[in-house]
Amino acid sequence: MNNENIRYRFRFNKGEEVKFIGHLDVMIAFQRALKRADIPIAYSNGFNPHQLIAFALPLSLGYTSTGEYGDFQLQYEMDCDELKERLNNTLPCGMYVTELIRLKDGVKNTMASVCAASYDIKFDESITPDDINNNLKGFLALNEIVVMKKTKNNFKETDIKPDIINVENISEKNAALRVLVNAGSKRNLKPESVAEGFCNYINKEYNRYKMSFNRNNMLMKDKYGQLVSLTDGVGLN
Amino acid sequence: MYKAVSDEILLQVDKPARYVGGEVNMVKKDLSNIDIRFAFCFPDVYEVGMSHLGLQILYYFLNRRDDTYCERAFAPWTDMEQKMRENHIPLFSLESQQPLKNFDFVGFTLQYELCYTNVLNMLDLSGIHIYSKDRTEDEPIIICGGSCAYNAEPLADFVDIVYLGEGEVLYDEILDIYKEYKKAGKTKNEFFERLLDIDGIYIPKFYDVKYNEDGTIKSIEPNHPKARKVIKKVIVKDMDSVFYPEKQIVPFIEVVHDRVTLELFRGCIRGCRFCQAGFIYRPVREKNYKTLLKQAESLIDSSGHEEISLISLATSDYTCFPQLANGLIDEYKDKKVSISLPSLRIDSFSLDLMQKIQEVRKSSLTFAAEAGTQRLRNVINKNLTEKDILDGCKLAFDGGWNKVKMYFMLGLPTETDEDLEGIADLCDKIVEKYFEIPKEDRSRPVTVNASASCFVPKPFTPFQWDAQDSFESFGRKGAFVKNAIKRKQVRFTYHNTMMSSLEGVMARGDRKVSKAIYRAWELGCRFDSWSDVFDFEKWQQAFDETGLSMEFYANRKREYNEILPWEHVSVGVTKRFLIEERERAYRAQTTPNCRQECQNCGAKSFGGGVCFE
Repeated sequence: MNNENIRYRFRFNKGEEVKFIGHLDVMIAFQRALKRADIPIAYSNGFNPHQLIAFALPLSLGYTSTGEYGDFQLQYEMDCDELKERLNNTLPCGMYVTELIRLKDGVKNTMASVCAASYDIKFDESITPDDINNNLKGFLALNEIVVMKKTKNNFKETDIKPDIINVENISEKNAALRVLVNAGSKRNLKPESVAEGFCNYINKEYNRYKMSFNRNNMLMKDKYGQLVSLTDGVGLN
Repeated sequence: MYKAVSDEILLQVDKPARYVGGEVNMVKKDLSNIDIRFAFCFPDVYEVGMSHLGLQILYYFLNRRDDTYCERAFAPWTDMEQKMRENHIPLFSLESQQPLKNFDFVGFTLQYELCYTNVLNMLDLSGIHIYSKDRTEDEPIIICGGSCAYNAEPLADFVDIVYLGEGEVLYDEILDIYKEYKKAGKTKNEFFERLLDIDGIYIPKFYDVKYNEDGTIKSIEPNHPKARKVIKKVIVKDMDSVFYPEKQIVPFIEVVHDRVTLELFRGCIRGCRFCQAGFIYRPVREKNYKTLLKQAESLIDSSGHEEISLISLATSDYTCFPQLANGLIDEYKDKKVSISLPSLRIDSFSLDLMQKIQEVRKSSLTFAAEAGTQRLRNVINKNLTEKDILDGCKLAFDGGWNKVKMYFMLGLPTETDEDLEGIADLCDKIVEKYFEIPKEDRSRPVTVNASASCFVPKPFTPFQWDAQDSFESFGRKGAFVKNAIKRKQVRFTYHNTMMSSLEGVMARGDRKVSKAIYRAWELGCRFDSWSDVFDFEKWQQAFDETGLSMEFYANRKREYNEILPWEHVSVGVTKRFLIEERERAYRAQTTPNCRQECQNCGAKSFGGGVCFE
């Protein structure tokens, strides 16, 4: 008995403990947690029934996040606080639900809603806070920021400037940037491309494997065109 | 959160989740309250090791002790090994991410012979001396168990203790003694001497092996007054009261088997003469189906897995199979938990059951015919007739299945080209069976996937004296069968012949083989069961350089009076019985199974199981 209206949206953290678990495996971990929590998840009909759960934009391997999202559908209604608690008791260490709401009827799923994402980039020690203080303005004033982007078969020069919405200097002891970029199924920019572009601009080596990345949030546009969190204005009540 | 390997490295290796632990149901303990640290090592990659039931059982069995922390370690894949060596990172456990060198015990489970170079490599990566004689008091005690431990001679110079039998029986006693001796400040050697009081424990250094000029063994003699002349394996007598974990570790990444596992029984009544498991795990000891239903419930609830697998050596032989299967179906049909049934004989009951379990999803059916003719099947005591197979296929095709998997072996004793042609003929008849169905009732085209492994004579089987085919001969036979198959509906593949050859050497190797293993490891051999890594030329070089002959071990027929490398080990089954079985094999005479008629194989001496039903 599936009722298409009993949908919930959850926001969760992906911490250090699970940052090397890929997107697909995170989804499976979530599905198993739902089963362990004995949550009455709805299943698709058909030959190979699967849980009716969908996640927003995949997170790159090695990133942490405080803004992951997904939607699921239940067989019957449950209290949001109880759902959240039950899930958090069964999720693996490092995965933690921070928000859970019952969705209004007809809300688009997370993947279709996402249009931007905010990330924090922490550079390795070869880049200093002064590198950022002295160069960020000039970097953002460039007409185009060309980096090599990986395509299906090879690499291709791409101007990433149009996909950068905002960049903020959040350096303290270490050099760090907070970037807001286009994200989603239409246009998507990885924050590492911004980091690469910046390193190129200041003529320093780009050490992808030495930097750390955190996704702060994923955002959608509300009816006024403003960027808001994926849980804003879509909940029942 | 501490990780043994930096993020920078983890980002550059394949599947970094292999190395970070933290899975659901992983045991966490405070090291300051621990007396004994035990590293359970599986000498293959994480995905293989995590699919091994023995690991799951022993992990929780050892961790149920408050004074012991059992952690896991696996063989790092070649990309990770390179990074670890470049950056001087010693091999670590997944739980505490600490070097294996800090542990009290490093235990290896030996499930197949081609993992031996990985054992050496894991010791070396840990910074632990590879040879037992070189290890100091501060280094861990190396213990091994598993099916290959029944002839651990090729590893005898590397390990300290060989555990013969089922882990649940002796580990508490071993660890209690260890704790007492450690507290009293006694030496490792004093501990080893104390263990000589216990049957089932084999300590290679207390035995001397002498050789004849032709390389065969002259004698295997204890060199310590307390060491037994023959060490006998230990087994669990009552499967219902023995410990079984209520949960299983749930890996983050896809492993070979993503499911929880129920163990129906140990041992096998069949006595197929090529099958080592059929002899070394005797006698059959079953679990009550009520025990199993209870265990299934807690495993499913605590894991979130959507598949439960019933395992044993021959599931159809489980006496309460209908009760168990129906009980599971009743419980789980609405809970989206599927039930998988490997090792099932295909008859109307099992097909009916599979219909119920799988609904529309029709997986392929598997028949382990093992040989192409009835004569050869009689030789190996595989009590499966062509009629059984064809009737099973007919039932399956009528039930809507259209894929059949067939398992065969090449190089079985007494095999002739006629037997090889029999493989093609049998597959052909299966396809014809399908075409007996009226055209309008056939859903999709039929496929028969036949695969052949290369026969490896194993210790403690009736064929332990027989010569194995050379890899050249396996190759010829494989090509012969391939050529004999005419129908496009039949696909035939056969196993890597050189790997099978090496497996044959290791399986019946003696202590001298350790030199070749060490040399092969030095030459870079790792993951010898992985065809993309396996390098047979290096192995040939290793044998040449150490003055050993692979043919001596694999392709030589032994006489009954030859002293075999495992002569000082007993699995309960007597040599007399194995000889009788071999004689019957060469007369193509079958032997009734344990439930039909006891053959006095020797397993009765354990005082339990099917022998007393």
